[in-house]
Amino acid sequence: MHRALLPFAFALAALVAALPAAAHHSFAAEFDLNQPIKLRGVVTKVEFMNPHSWIHINVKKDDGTVEEWAVEGGTANTLFRMGLNKNSLSVGTEIIVDGYRARDGAMRANGRDVTLPNGNKLFLGGSAPPQ
Amino acid sequence: MTGGSFVSRRVSAILAIGASVLLATPVFAQPKGKTPNFSGIWQAANTANWDLEAHAAEAGPKPELGALLVVPPGPGVVVGGQIPYLPAALAQRKKNREQRWTADPEARCYMPGVPRANYLPYPFQIVQGTDKIMISYEFADAVRLIHMQDPGPAPADSWMGWSVGHWEGNTLVVDVTAQNADTWLDRSGNYHSDALHVVERYTLRSPDVLMYEATIEDPQVFSKPWTIRMPLYRHVGEGAQLMELKCIPFTEHFLYDHVGR
Amino acid sequence: MLRATLSATVIALCVAGAAVAQPAAPAKPAEKWTMPRLADGHPDLSGIWTNKTITPFERPPELANKEFFTADEAKAFVKQTLERSNMDKRSNDVSDVIGAYNAFWWDRGSTLLPNLRTSIVIEPKNGRIPPLTAARSAALAAQAQAVKARCEKPGCAVSNAGIPAPADEPQALDLMTRCISFGTVVPMLPSAYNNNYQIVQADGVVAINTEMVHQVRRIPTDGSAHLPQNVRQWFGDPRGHWEGDTLVVESTNFKGEHFGRMAAADENLKVTERFTLVPPGVLMYRFTVDDPTAWTAPWTGEIPLVPIDGMLYEYACHEGNRGMENILRAARQDIKKAGGK
Repeated sequence: MHRALLPFAFALAALVAALPAAAHHSFAAEFDLNQPIKLRGVVTKVEFMNPHSWIHINVKKDDGTVEEWAVEGGTANTLFRMGLNKNSLSVGTEIIVDGYRARDGAMRANGRDVTLPNGNKLFLGGSAPPQ
Repeated sequence: MTGGSFVSRRVSAILAIGASVLLATPVFAQPKGKTPNFSGIWQAANTANWDLEAHAAEAGPKPELGALLVVPPGPGVVVGGQIPYLPAALAQRKKNREQRWTADPEARCYMPGVPRANYLPYPFQIVQGTDKIMISYEFADAVRLIHMQDPGPAPADSWMGWSVGHWEGNTLVVDVTAQNADTWLDRSGNYHSDALHVVERYTLRSPDVLMYEATIEDPQVFSKPWTIRMPLYRHVGEGAQLMELKCIPFTEHFLYDHVGR
Repeated sequence: MLRATLSATVIALCVAGAAVAQPAAPAKPAEKWTMPRLADGHPDLSGIWTNKTITPFERPPELANKEFFTADEAKAFVKQTLERSNMDKRSNDVSDVIGAYNAFWWDRGSTLLPNLRTSIVIEPKNGRIPPLTAARSAALAAQAQAVKARCEKPGCAVSNAGIPAPADEPQALDLMTRCISFGTVVPMLPSAYNNNYQIVQADGVVAINTEMVHQVRRIPTDGSAHLPQNVRQWFGDPRGHWEGDTLVVESTNFKGEHFGRMAAADENLKVTERFTLVPPGVLMYRFTVDDPTAWTAPWTGEIPLVPIDGMLYEYACHEGNRGMENILRAARQDIKKAGGK
């Protein structure tokens, strides 16, 4: 059994390198590896569209000011296939975004890792309206 | 049952039906019991895409091109003549019209929506399967699928809408909902909101002429539903095919030259 | 997650082997499949099909000419692949940015092809595409060199391939960023998500809608001739004919701008595809890529297309291409900051 598995170590390296990573535009040309960012905010608008969905959030800073951020997500079609639709993420839901900031300096980030406050991944853990 | 008044009522009824048959119903005798077959390549041959309403000829956007690019005249395709705008919406159409050469989503190579896709100056191909009808448009690779069985509600708005069809005799009736608000109805600024609801009717007038009717309803923009009507003509003969019209490269300077500059 | 309507076991029983197999006894006798046909007698290929799979495109070299996994090998391969490619794992390098978002957005599938092939490419016999011609290799190297030189000046950014590429003009960006092409389209190769195709067939035409980017191939089966040689299209010009119950499609007249795994192809490309419906309702898809000025030999791949329960959704791209503006803005700002225009 062990011998049969040996070739796959190499196979996997080749596989991962060969995976068509690019079914979307160049992310590193839009978002900056050197500007990782963590945001916690409340959903104000959701755009389920292509090539990318956009989740707009209001982020309250420590000094009380509110910043409007746009968070880029994936293709809406994947969500539709999961049974979700334009009503599946309610305005007022709080989300946490762990991503990278836009290279052009705007208040925009890619939603590299988006979770709900309870730790569930967004859309997999449900997105209930605010209590 | 008997009596002159009954006879004359029947006669005038028959005459009335006869008149409407001549005016509206196709003269083409569809084989009984067979579903009409609309598969093929079709194209409108009017100026609806320039302006749905009747209009005189006008200079185009580039006077230096002389007569090469003019706004052609057209008798209009709107039943009743005028589109019944709500007063505030009419003001928006005027604004659209003033910016039409830059603001028209067709200029941006955006998918045109329904019904505009059917009267663009480019052909489209109807592929009629057993329970699905695909309409593939040459312009911008636009495509729509007509579901002949209820597909459930649309998950979100889209550019080409959500089409559900059924047969009424020899007429294909298509109910189109869930279109976004970002398309125009023509190059003259006629527009709609995302409340748009379109009901289309397709009936063969003869083997190569498809009568097309679309009733447009949008309570945010129009005071009542209104209808457009036009023939669509089949491309016949060898060599009839759609070709590739990828217009994105033609729009990139127009759309992006100013970005970040 | 989307599931094929047919169990993998049933498919594997019926589809094992390179040739179109005689049906083995299906697991459930009640699901006897019969070939759907249109009035003209030809098989009806209509339906919604997916080619999503984690089967590698090319066979890992160590597997040499081994065409199929055993069931145990397949299980192990799938487990390791899914662990390795889990997009919820974070790294802190540029691949994390390219990773873009959580795993649930991605949809490469989680299974191997139902016949347990070790690769999509089946000819050459080692499951790997042949080498490029010397001329093509040199031309691509020269292009790469030109990009390298260009990117010594500001206005470039790291592409999804992990190397700097110009990002300040739309025409310099890749076809995907421009929303012109999001996959190979022809041949039908799997991608990262939305790996779905809708076929609607009528007398004399087979239409295939590739979900990304709503790309319809209208394939005449009426005996008509190709477009003249001087007319070139991004996705070529297809013509189909029936050989028994197999639809054979030949595509020529390519422009020479290709994407992804077909990026090395040029205007001399010819693609021949064969579509055959087999029990229990799988669409066997085999394609041959023949481009004598690009590759030293033709190469062939095979993917059983599996029906899906759901539908295609509109994938408008150009209409919502904010990424293009964001990329251009960032690159042009870089140029300005460096004193350029």
